[in-house]
Amino acid sequence: MNRLRALFLAPSVGFTVILFLIPLSIIIGYSFQTRGVYGGVTAPWTLENYQRLFDPLYGLILWRSLVMALLATALCLLIAFPLALFIARAEAKWKSVYLYLVILPFWTSFLVRTYAWMFLLRDTGLINSLLLSMGLIREPLPLLYNETAVVVGLVYGFLPFAVLPLFSNLERLDKNLLEAAADLGATPWETLRHVVLPMCAPGLRAAGVLVFIPCLGSYLTPDLLGGGKSIMIGNLIQNQFTTARDWPFGAAISLALMALVMILMVTVLRQDAEDSL
Amino acid sequence: MKQSRFLAVFAALVYAFLHVPLLILCAFSFNRSKFTIWEGFSLDWYRAMFSDRQLGEATWNSLVIAAASTILATAIGTLCAYGLWKRGSKWLSGSLYLSLVTPEIVTGISLLAFFQWGFRYLHLQLGMHTVILAHVAFSIAYVLLVVMARLRTAEPALEEAALDLGANEWQAFRLVTLPMLKPGIAAAALLAFTVSFDDYVITSLVAGVDSETLPMVLYAMARRGANPVVSAISTVIFVGFGALILLSERMQKA
Amino acid sequence: MRNRRDILVGMVGLAGCGQTRERRLNVFNWSAYVAPETVPNFEKQFGVRVRYSIYESNEEMLARVFSGNSGWDVVFPTHYIVPPMRDQNLLAELDHQRLPNLRHLEPAFREPVSDPGLQHSVPYMWNATGILYNKKVQPAPKRWADLWEPHWRGHLTMLDDPAEVLGAALRKLGHSLNSRDPQELLAAQQEAVKQKSLLRAYLNTEVRDQAVAGDILGAQIWSTTAQQAIDASPDLAFVYPEDGFPLSLDCAVILQESQRPELAHEFLNYLLEPPVSARIAETMRTATANGAARPLLSAATQNNATLYPPPEVMARAEWFATVTPEAQRLRDRLWTEIKSA
Repeated sequence: MNRLRALFLAPSVGFTVILFLIPLSIIIGYSFQTRGVYGGVTAPWTLENYQRLFDPLYGLILWRSLVMALLATALCLLIAFPLALFIARAEAKWKSVYLYLVILPFWTSFLVRTYAWMFLLRDTGLINSLLLSMGLIREPLPLLYNETAVVVGLVYGFLPFAVLPLFSNLERLDKNLLEAAADLGATPWETLRHVVLPMCAPGLRAAGVLVFIPCLGSYLTPDLLGGGKSIMIGNLIQNQFTTARDWPFGAAISLALMALVMILMVTVLRQDAEDSL
Repeated sequence: MKQSRFLAVFAALVYAFLHVPLLILCAFSFNRSKFTIWEGFSLDWYRAMFSDRQLGEATWNSLVIAAASTILATAIGTLCAYGLWKRGSKWLSGSLYLSLVTPEIVTGISLLAFFQWGFRYLHLQLGMHTVILAHVAFSIAYVLLVVMARLRTAEPALEEAALDLGANEWQAFRLVTLPMLKPGIAAAALLAFTVSFDDYVITSLVAGVDSETLPMVLYAMARRGANPVVSAISTVIFVGFGALILLSERMQKA
Repeated sequence: MRNRRDILVGMVGLAGCGQTRERRLNVFNWSAYVAPETVPNFEKQFGVRVRYSIYESNEEMLARVFSGNSGWDVVFPTHYIVPPMRDQNLLAELDHQRLPNLRHLEPAFREPVSDPGLQHSVPYMWNATGILYNKKVQPAPKRWADLWEPHWRGHLTMLDDPAEVLGAALRKLGHSLNSRDPQELLAAQQEAVKQKSLLRAYLNTEVRDQAVAGDILGAQIWSTTAQQAIDASPDLAFVYPEDGFPLSLDCAVILQESQRPELAHEFLNYLLEPPVSARIAETMRTATANGAARPLLSAATQNNATLYPPPEVMARAEWFATVTPEAQRLRDRLWTEIKSA
């Protein structure tokens, strides 16, 4: 048994070690080194890259990323929850249709979905053209290339991520409890607040984490919709590894981001993991 | 259960929010004019799309990479899921879940650093092979997730019965568990294919001279300004994947 | 066992599928820097396939090329990047025997400061940086300082290039474009950050279509791109700032890692042919460094003040220079901070 199992696990072990853990260790190593004059990584081992992270300039970027990710997550949950409730309550034959309609945009390329918003929001885009042609505005509104556009793009991109875990949680809800609450005289609103929501807490946490983490590290959305001006952590990292050629600093930022993500996962989800085990 | 009117309206609005931008993009891909004023139906942009050599190469690259990485990732991930189902391994499943939550940009730059570091000594270059390796690396965790979910509904007793009847472990896996896993494997393969085909961030970092993919071309076009050819490509992708998902759902029900 | 081996063989075959029998050359160039027929004609003449990709900035090109195993054969750095690339052993030495067309170069470009013996680079096209603006903007901008006026809000772009942005800020403050003084550079960085709230984005040639469409009313841009924009829209005008402006010379180089140096030399020699260079200059509105090509240009192009400024304008110009490593380090860090602000 063990031989077969070892054989089965060998490729994954290989890939995980060689193409995930080792690269990560290289990055950890780079974060303590210095940038060569024109790029590259050279000898002096230093903590300077981590010290640079405390510069208020980068703290601002981290703060901005956290705020935008939190905002996008909150909006996602707010929108996803009623939708998930709706689907969970639907008749069986319609459920898969409703789910399919939620999943469909998710399967479409993320780039395409982001571009759709560029198409709508740019100065010569559809929304401005309509408003201009209707005479409601005289000059195009600057809808694109700002933080609002980025948040809209994030919500749009990750909404399906929030709906699915909430839906599966709501589906498994014991209908008897809801009926019991109604029998005891609770209004639908009260049932929602005191019975449904607490029971959905694990689903809400899972959905929240599932949306927050990619939002925090997102690169494409702030790049295309923010016009390179609403720079988030993902953009900063990409910048250091490409045009700025400052790999050590980029490595330090990446590890800081990873640390943040891991702390989040552990604190928010540990309880749920223990419960489900 | 009775649906409240409010919920139904809300749901309708959310569906509109999700689909209208894409539908508008599709509609305007048939617009004769480059601008957002409707000037008549036209297939010009589709013609332009099909005659673009660079686009054709990029699409071919994307398909090859997605196919190769799907096959590899699905195989490796399925075997891994089975192995872990038999007896867990904290560090392996922990690492794989870690790779799932690692932001794409961090995965991308770490792979870039690894390839540069390793290839400096082996004199290899970035190319299709590095992209495929990268895609397999991040897809395994997705496959693991899907197949594990399916395995949890499996009956270990069935395999034990097969063993009692004289089969060896390999036969037990191949003849008992594997057939049962088929829908899960298919779903995992579809997920791996989509994730690979759609990837921009990681691919753009580790791609070489000969491995430009469709998302990379799309990104460059999107950055350069309003381009109706992008709308045409988007429509094809949207309809294509929509049909693919529908097909897979039908197959799963059958 | 047999199945697995077949799969392996199949995949190797698939991977090798990309390579064809014919000779290949990989060229990485600025966008809109060759005429539509330039590369196809080379392919036909020499019976090769050229993979031709474009980039928008030196930094984008260097990011790929710096590792030394990028796969590109020929790239086009701006002149002040050539010495650092040479010092990093990224460039192959040129064999002048294979480049007989070097004699066509304009005398002024035969001994550029960045590479006096033309040992590693071949001058290609030169550019000057100025201000492109929409004529409805009043008052019309005349100096770099005018780009800091609040009336631009949201409709202004600067180049996505540290040397250019710092250069404009340095000129605004009255310092040299190529300043190495940390105090001056720091002051320039602060100016750039002050300007950031007025900017739509940092864009290179991508701004052209937006300027033509009227979205962008003012842009720090290269003369080539400006002329392309003016060709497309009569509402646009271009001015060389009164407080001095930079000149840059884009050069063709062969990378040390190239496996096809002979073919690369052929390509460079081909680009130096007067008719080829003239065709590029005419259609893409570039200013060619090829002296023998100048007479082949149309009269209108030769007298174009944007592309070939008159001597009194050129008197205000200054070539970019390669700075010392310490100054470069500082400039790179300041640029990251400008972009992150």
